[in-house]
Amino acid sequence: MMKMMMISSGGTALQTLRLAPSLCKPPSLQTLTRYRHGLFRGPPLLPSLLRAVSSPALQPSSSGVEDEKVVVVAKPQWKAAIDFKWIRENKDLVAGNIRNRNSSANLDLVLELYEKYLGLQKEVERLRAERNAVANKMKGKLEPSVRQAFVEEGKNLKEALVALEEDLVQLTDRLQQEAQSIPNITHPDVPIGGEESSIVRKMVGCQPEFSFAVRDHLQIGKDLDLFDFDAASEVSGSKFYYLKNEAVLLEMGLINWALSEVTKKGFTPLITPEIVRSSVVEKCGFQPRGQNTQVYSIEGSDQCLIGTAEIPVGGIHMDSILPDSALPLKYVAFSHCFRTEAGAAGAATRGLYRVHQFSKVEMFIFCQPEDSNMYHEELIQIEEDLFTSLGLHFKTLDMATGDLGAPAYRKFDVEAWMPGLGRFGEISSASNCTDYQSRRLGIRFRPSLSDASPANSKKGKGSAAPTQFVHTLNATACAVPRMIVCLLENFQQEDGSVVIPEPLRPFMGGLQVLSPKF
Amino acid sequence: MRSISVFRRWQEVERLRAERNAVANKMKGKLEPSVRQAFVEEGKNLKEALVALEEDLVQLTDRLQQEAQSIPNITHPDVPIGGEESSIVRKMVGCQPEFSFAVRDHLQIGKDLDLFDFDAASEVSGSKFYYLKNEAVLLEMGLINWALSEVTKKGFTPLITPEIVRSSVVEKCGFQPRGQNTQVYSIEGSDQCLIGTAEIPVGGIHMDSILPDSALPLKYVAFSHCFRTEAGAAGAATRGLYRVHQFSKVEMFIFCQPEDSNMYHEELIQIEEDLFTSLGLHFKTLDMATGDLGAPAYRKFDVEAWMPGLGRFGEISSASNCTDYQSRRLGIRFRPSLSDASPANSKKGKGSAAPTQFVHTLNATACAVPRMIVCLLENFQQEDGSVVIPEPLRPFMGGLQVLSPKF
Repeated sequence: MMKMMMISSGGTALQTLRLAPSLCKPPSLQTLTRYRHGLFRGPPLLPSLLRAVSSPALQPSSSGVEDEKVVVVAKPQWKAAIDFKWIRENKDLVAGNIRNRNSSANLDLVLELYEKYLGLQKEVERLRAERNAVANKMKGKLEPSVRQAFVEEGKNLKEALVALEEDLVQLTDRLQQEAQSIPNITHPDVPIGGEESSIVRKMVGCQPEFSFAVRDHLQIGKDLDLFDFDAASEVSGSKFYYLKNEAVLLEMGLINWALSEVTKKGFTPLITPEIVRSSVVEKCGFQPRGQNTQVYSIEGSDQCLIGTAEIPVGGIHMDSILPDSALPLKYVAFSHCFRTEAGAAGAATRGLYRVHQFSKVEMFIFCQPEDSNMYHEELIQIEEDLFTSLGLHFKTLDMATGDLGAPAYRKFDVEAWMPGLGRFGEISSASNCTDYQSRRLGIRFRPSLSDASPANSKKGKGSAAPTQFVHTLNATACAVPRMIVCLLENFQQEDGSVVIPEPLRPFMGGLQVLSPKF
Repeated sequence: MRSISVFRRWQEVERLRAERNAVANKMKGKLEPSVRQAFVEEGKNLKEALVALEEDLVQLTDRLQQEAQSIPNITHPDVPIGGEESSIVRKMVGCQPEFSFAVRDHLQIGKDLDLFDFDAASEVSGSKFYYLKNEAVLLEMGLINWALSEVTKKGFTPLITPEIVRSSVVEKCGFQPRGQNTQVYSIEGSDQCLIGTAEIPVGGIHMDSILPDSALPLKYVAFSHCFRTEAGAAGAATRGLYRVHQFSKVEMFIFCQPEDSNMYHEELIQIEEDLFTSLGLHFKTLDMATGDLGAPAYRKFDVEAWMPGLGRFGEISSASNCTDYQSRRLGIRFRPSLSDASPANSKKGKGSAAPTQFVHTLNATACAVPRMIVCLLENFQQEDGSVVIPEPLRPFMGGLQVLSPKF
């Protein structure tokens, strides 16, 4: 049983439709022929498959390939509650945003399809009204020939209506598909440009000095018998690993510590599924089936492995209306994460820095729209406190427009100094996704009555205020392998041992130092 | 019978090779052209026959392998013969707890204490998935940390393993990734699968290796998430946490010399019984009958714990001695030390290395988290809806002693 919330084009009444299972069509490639009634005389329809929305660096530019006759589209399984009216009213802002983010979304096409959609809807309504009028006219006594004429007219209207309604469905699907790739708008303070334009918000600590030759985490791990990459390569493939001995204590310690610290701040702890339906992955703004996808799919099923707990946590309130008093909802979730790392070239792939499977503790907030900026600051503050307490040297970056994922209104990344790598490496990311995910996941809240004006409280049934979409935020509390890299490389000693930061020791059975065994 | 025909075929090949060599030798000296030509002809015929036979041999060998791989391991002489009902109770610990109030099952307790969400997981992932919330998260982390700690203290090397492995490794451990009703999830577009147990990546850690005798026994305790399709699992025992697609498990694994595997089997079951006894569970250990052994198992002990909400015993762990079944497939050998070799042997060949033998492997569940959670919630529930945490777990749960209702 699926609950679909749809806003009618008038933007007023809400309808809850319960779709019977038979109406939930499986995803399929459909070939669209040129629409009937010559409605699309404009530029030829561009072939469009679902575009990458998760990795801005991978967004392809518009191919410009035009095919007049046949357009193959992947029919979306679900609908995002996109505010077309708002987009139309703010199209310059949206267009500029798309440019700044190097997005391949086609705003002109979306607006064109939207106009046609409105027109087609009107036409459908007009025909329905005519058909009702004819039906009414046939109620009284009539001459057989007159009746016959009405019957004919009724039949013609019905046929025309059926055809138009089909067109409307296809048009709605097409509109959805194009519109879904429009990225979120951007916070005004976000720097415009590529990676090099990101701004440093905060710098904590300084580079540690070593009186001996610095080892990287792989060397330290070898000396302390902490990892096995070679056996994992045989058993599983490259970028897999076993953790051994004290590294197991380190991983468990990091997870337990992060969960404990964030729970103390009022977050509800969760352990989540790691297999989810691919539609949920898409609704969070990732792309399970694109080229170079980061997402592993399960054979023979519509399920995928999660790349982050953000997905199952976002999904926990899918298709719901939350009471105002429940917000904010703050979760801290532990899960394993799986990423294909397809297309990840370059030097930063060594050892634990880039792996297919890892443990992560993730923070997630559902809140009222006016509070999301505040909670974004709260989340980055929590992260900075966690990393500071471990004694890491790091910087927090306000990521530039070219580096934001499609869902993010604003994104802060933390990069920590990794002596073995000889540079800063990303250890966490905190994004404010405003209503991008909630419009796709269907997560609303109902503002409380006390917020409603006296005028409102006289309206309709029980004066319920209309629902709004929540805002969602997510932030990494602890991505274990990169934290292990940081700890080993920063706190290594000349004799090959590694000092455990104080906050972790109670979560590691009191262990203070990882010592060499020989 | 098939192996006999393979042997005969191989003998045939050897014979032809010998003939061909003989012909080649005969052609070395000076010969009359007609004689030489006759030999050349004979050589050619032999070569063609040989090529055909060698092809046959390859196909036969493959077929032999395929058929033979499904021959199950031999069985320990003390194992009862028969189906499930023939399994023998080796040990019974504790007794059924008495309740002065209506017993709740773990789902009800979980609902009252806000510990799980099956409904949301059903939307997000499908049936038999779940979120753990609030103190249930502490419970899972506590159980894992406690089990790892207890078993490490007993000299096992802790491991965290990959959960995606090549399907060939799954097969070599005795599972069947691609059969009908397979328990194994496969990754699309790849030869990889999700593990159903850490037994697989741990067994694989020494694939295709020769271990020094002095390294044995190798004892590992491994933590991983496990994924099972549970295809074909019908029946009443599927409610709530009892049968799920994803769960956390701490697994023990031993590589040892053949003569020691029975002893280590006893050691593993003893560790399990100590763990469960320390938590105050009521359980029985079963020596599983022949009809209930998996193909790799020479002998298998299952532990079933009393689950008041279910109203019966439910399996919480399994300890198998796989002798050399897995090691013959994974290619894991050891070289007995020279001091074991007789003086006669030590005079043989290159450096008197004793011939290698296959290790024996054993695996045993230290803690399968969801079923342990079922046991803890159902056995230690109080009338007011709270649940008492067994003492050994409390240090691993930040000192928490009781799960209390919030209203």
